Amino acid sequence: MFSLIENEVIKMISKKRLLFVIAILVALISVFAYGQHHASERIKTQLSQRMGISATTDWHKIADQQLIELKNRLDSPYRDEKDKSALRVRIEQLQYNLDNDINPLEQSAAKFTTKFMEQSIFLFLPLLIIMLASDMVSGESSSGTIKLLLVRNVPRWKVLLSKFLTLIMLEIIVLFFAFVLSEIISGLFFGFGGWNAPVATGFKLVAGKLDTSSVLNVPQWRYTLMVYSLAFFVSFVVGSISFMISVLVRSTAASIGIIMSTLVAGNFISYFLSDWKITRYMFMVNLRLTDYLSGSFQPIEGMTLLFSILVLLGWASASIIISFVYFTKKDILV
Amino acid sequence: MFKKSMWYSILVIAFVGFVILANGFYQAILVTTQANPQPTSESAPLESTTDLTPSSKNPNTIQMLILGDSVAKGTGDEKSKGFSGYLSEYLKNNTSKEIIADNVGIDGLESTGLLEQLQSRRLEQQLTHTDIVLVSIGGNDIRSILTLNSFDKENEFKVRLDRYLSNLKLTFQELRKSNPNSTIIFLGLYNPYEKVTNLEDSQLLNSWNFNTQQLVETDGKAIFIPTYDLFKYNTGRFIAQDGLHPNSAGYQAISNRISRSLEMIIAGL
Repeated sequence: MFSLIENEVIKMISKKRLLFVIAILVALISVFAYGQHHASERIKTQLSQRMGISATTDWHKIADQQLIELKNRLDSPYRDEKDKSALRVRIEQLQYNLDNDINPLEQSAAKFTTKFMEQSIFLFLPLLIIMLASDMVSGESSSGTIKLLLVRNVPRWKVLLSKFLTLIMLEIIVLFFAFVLSEIISGLFFGFGGWNAPVATGFKLVAGKLDTSSVLNVPQWRYTLMVYSLAFFVSFVVGSISFMISVLVRSTAASIGIIMSTLVAGNFISYFLSDWKITRYMFMVNLRLTDYLSGSFQPIEGMTLLFSILVLLGWASASIIISFVYFTKKDILV
Repeated sequence: MFKKSMWYSILVIAFVGFVILANGFYQAILVTTQANPQPTSESAPLESTTDLTPSSKNPNTIQMLILGDSVAKGTGDEKSKGFSGYLSEYLKNNTSKEIIADNVGIDGLESTGLLEQLQSRRLEQQLTHTDIVLVSIGGNDIRSILTLNSFDKENEFKVRLDRYLSNLKLTFQELRKSNPNSTIIFLGLYNPYEKVTNLEDSQLLNSWNFNTQQLVETDGKAIFIPTYDLFKYNTGRFIAQDGLHPNSAGYQAISNRISRSLEMIIAGL
């Protein structure tokens, strides 16, 4: 079993597909980091234009004033108890910025690394995974090498399992490179740091509304860890589904095409069919898991992180079962 | 040999990564589902509603109640007096009567919040005894539409304006329910972003102010005090460092304007 996995990994390395994925990551991250750098410069000049002062150097004063205002708001007896924890979280963040002399307008490598994954979790990351997963089995079918694999004295399910485990390993490698590369490249632009800055999370959905009463600050590194873990889960699910399609379809091109069009369609399906409840059971709609952490999701009754994870888990397990059953039963005629 | 070492490093990264990611995944579920571990017990509801208010109406005092958003509260003033502070100073110097000013402005309040505040009846006591009610509201209702594109802006503006006007109508009803005789002074909106505002946005703001004024007039014992003209060419002088609220000079200018309109009313009290 172990040597089977080793064999598969070495096959993937020599196919250069992983290198290709890494090259895409490098190119895109560089572009994004440069763009972010550019945008933050522009925002700074805009702000100082609007306020008539240099907001970038004078941010201490503004933050101080904001802090006093927030504290006053917190003390106001006419304030709802519900809003108070959100205010407290804001105060904590501002206080941290002031204590550590961090301009809240400045980017940091930690922020960028997290933001990058938050933005790529629903389309870009799945596409990278698809590139790796789609030809794992269909590639063998179309080139005919599957015969050589199956004539060996190994049960078919073991062959497939080794491929599947290899896929999971590669998913982790992709995430690892996404993390390391965005940290290094954005670090060159924004400086390496900001891993202890507080980030607000813990938003909940109560009666169809975003509830901020349980919001709390976690350090950036913990937040980033959670974001990347959810990204791993997403790539596991997308990987499993495209793995299944790769088992079912013999041509790699068709396999990539099917999963990609499903994925892209999923990104606007919820827009057209938002009042049709069944859409929430589709996997594409549930890929934006990190939005639940950042609280930036559209509140829909019944959609929570746990719900999305369960739906995705359902899709993943169904695909795994289908792939194994089909692969062990089908006749190979090459 | 190279491939062998590559395979081992991949294996190690994958294994370590899996353990870390599984841990993070568990934390992510925990943080979005569990109840807040933060202790919130320290915030006992502070019931310190000022009991300075005399129970019966005293002919020698003038009571003011300042309601609304951050402008009512005086945010941005370096001397942290706000227009209510300057106004009561002025009145103290110009009348023989005693001035009691009660400021319950809240930063960031929108018209919905003001209505809720009044409907909750927590201000009942102050309201019934007050002679003058100063209201500043609406700035936070309109401010967030500025960032929208011009098409959405138009629609969203209508929605907001309708909601605001109906809130305002109810607010006036609430005020009159508790106190039919007081004079209500309503502050119009100014434009803190004068330098970067296009014509279209100015027109929206003017139509907001116009509609507000029309509604305020229906009350009969209320005045609308415009501030738009006051700030139009004075943003440099009157706007505080945060770029949004008036500064000390700005609040003084507002207060001057109110006091002119109030002179005869005060004399009649």
